[in-house]
Amino acid sequence: MTGPQTTQEKIEELRKRTEAALLGGGEKRIAAQHEKGKMTARERIEALCDEDSFEEFDRFVVHRCTEFGMDEQKIPGDGVVTGYGTVEGRPVFLFSQDFTVFGGSLSGPFGEKVCKVMDLAVKAGAPIIGLNDSGGARIQEGVISLGSYGEIFRRNVLASGVVPQISAIMGPCAGGAVYSPAITDFIFMVDQTSYMHITGPQVIKTVTGEEVTSEIVGGAKIHNQKSGVAQFICKSDKECLKDVRKLLGYLPQNWEQKPPEKLSADSSERTNEELNSYIPDNPKSPYDMKKLIKTVVDLNSFFEVAKHFAKNMITAFARMGGMSVGIVANNPMFMAGCLDIDASRKCARFVRFCDAFNIPVVTFVDVPGFLPGIQQEYGGIITHGSKVIYAYCEATVPLITVITRKAYGGAYDVMGSKHHGADVNFAYPTAEIAVMGPEGAVNIVFRNELKQAADKKKTYQELVDQYRARIASPYRAAELGYIDEIIMPTDTRRKVIRALTALKHKRTWRPVRRHGNVPL
Amino acid sequence: MKAIVAPMGGKVVKISVKPGDSIAEDDEVAVLEAMKMEMPILCEDDGTVAEIKVAPGDTVEAEQVLMVLS
Repeated sequence: MTGPQTTQEKIEELRKRTEAALLGGGEKRIAAQHEKGKMTARERIEALCDEDSFEEFDRFVVHRCTEFGMDEQKIPGDGVVTGYGTVEGRPVFLFSQDFTVFGGSLSGPFGEKVCKVMDLAVKAGAPIIGLNDSGGARIQEGVISLGSYGEIFRRNVLASGVVPQISAIMGPCAGGAVYSPAITDFIFMVDQTSYMHITGPQVIKTVTGEEVTSEIVGGAKIHNQKSGVAQFICKSDKECLKDVRKLLGYLPQNWEQKPPEKLSADSSERTNEELNSYIPDNPKSPYDMKKLIKTVVDLNSFFEVAKHFAKNMITAFARMGGMSVGIVANNPMFMAGCLDIDASRKCARFVRFCDAFNIPVVTFVDVPGFLPGIQQEYGGIITHGSKVIYAYCEATVPLITVITRKAYGGAYDVMGSKHHGADVNFAYPTAEIAVMGPEGAVNIVFRNELKQAADKKKTYQELVDQYRARIASPYRAAELGYIDEIIMPTDTRRKVIRALTALKHKRTWRPVRRHGNVPL
Repeated sequence: MKAIVAPMGGKVVKISVKPGDSIAEDDEVAVLEAMKMEMPILCEDDGTVAEIKVAPGDTVEAEQVLMVLS
């Protein structure tokens, strides 16, 4: 066989080879992909990137495996599409696993392609986005495949905190393959068509005899509600990629840059009259903190992270006066807004992400305390709760805290207090900042008085009321300077935006060290 | 059959539905008191109330079944 001779023939050859590569695993497999409601690797890239912005690398890479008859089957690209494109005009580097080619299984050259774009992303200071849809290791390649996974994991770790890393799970992601997404900053999962687990239904059946489905072991709902492994659940591939684009809009390109500002028609001086009557008179009554936040941030800018996990803690990105901010808040609507293991983990990881990427943190506090109980203690709430302390104390981004109602006990300290390095601390006149609630405190402080009282019930109630008036208010904390200003709830938006503006160029210094030892 | 469970230990203050009621996601089905706070228990899925397992005044543990949906 002779190759192309003339220039025209050579150009024709490139055209043909490209056409073949673009087809991936062929029309039949593409149809099967579509039947499952999934897009192909290339369609996903089209949906993620700005129109016609994607540039591909390594289109003609093939595997080098000669065992098990693999040398007879080679498909250009070898199961992953890699390259760079733009999202809202800003570059992103990405890889998109192609399930139509060898089930998206990872070979040596597949891993090399992924590593190449990851290395470039770090050099270029641009986000890395991984679209996962892979059957796992390519068994025929043996240990080469494991080596490749390891190379990718190490790059995920080295890129952590340098550039944002986002994973979308859009098909199977099982065994060792889960650890690359796990190290990245955010995981999106498509409902019903994606799953993530270390051991799947078959292994579970062999070992324990339990019969379960992939959906139950590691479907999108499980990881968004129960395990907290994933932060976003999406109805379809299309919606998922739209949400990835949306998330990127709040993030800087890398740790040295500030997140992009977006002009908002929403005035920074806007007041919210309804907020002056939003906190209920009855301290036992809950209210939805999410609604309060939505009225304070720029109109329609609230973008929740881990919406379905530990609902007693809200984490979200939003904009205030056009500036990107991370929102952390207790939500009294769920589990009284208490701090527990899940809420602590969720909060700490989010604050650390914001701090890594120059995103100021605005904290709204209404916390009755840590959740008591043996389950919590045995589960290590001491360690997990301390992560929140660590995250706030370590943070060097602007920190602004608004106490709307309860801030009791250790939970007061933990939730972005002045003592943990918050820059501006506001409280509403409805705030109750104290070491413990009136009911418990009265029993301890006035034990003797209560014992001697003629009418125990009446005395108790009087003492509770006295305590609430004297101690459970924001004024004690304000006298001490722990609270910088007690604000009218109506003014929340303008007060926070002014503080954010004043702190825009905040600088802090930390002692030199190799690295801290966050209580993992 | 789906069950609605207590998110945390506490006291049942109110049952907001009765057997036979059809309920939708985010509807309040009961109110629980814990940590000196009343909290609405919201339904996570659409369904019909088949059986209510607790009554106001009952003390419940975390994960205890409050009601069963069909």
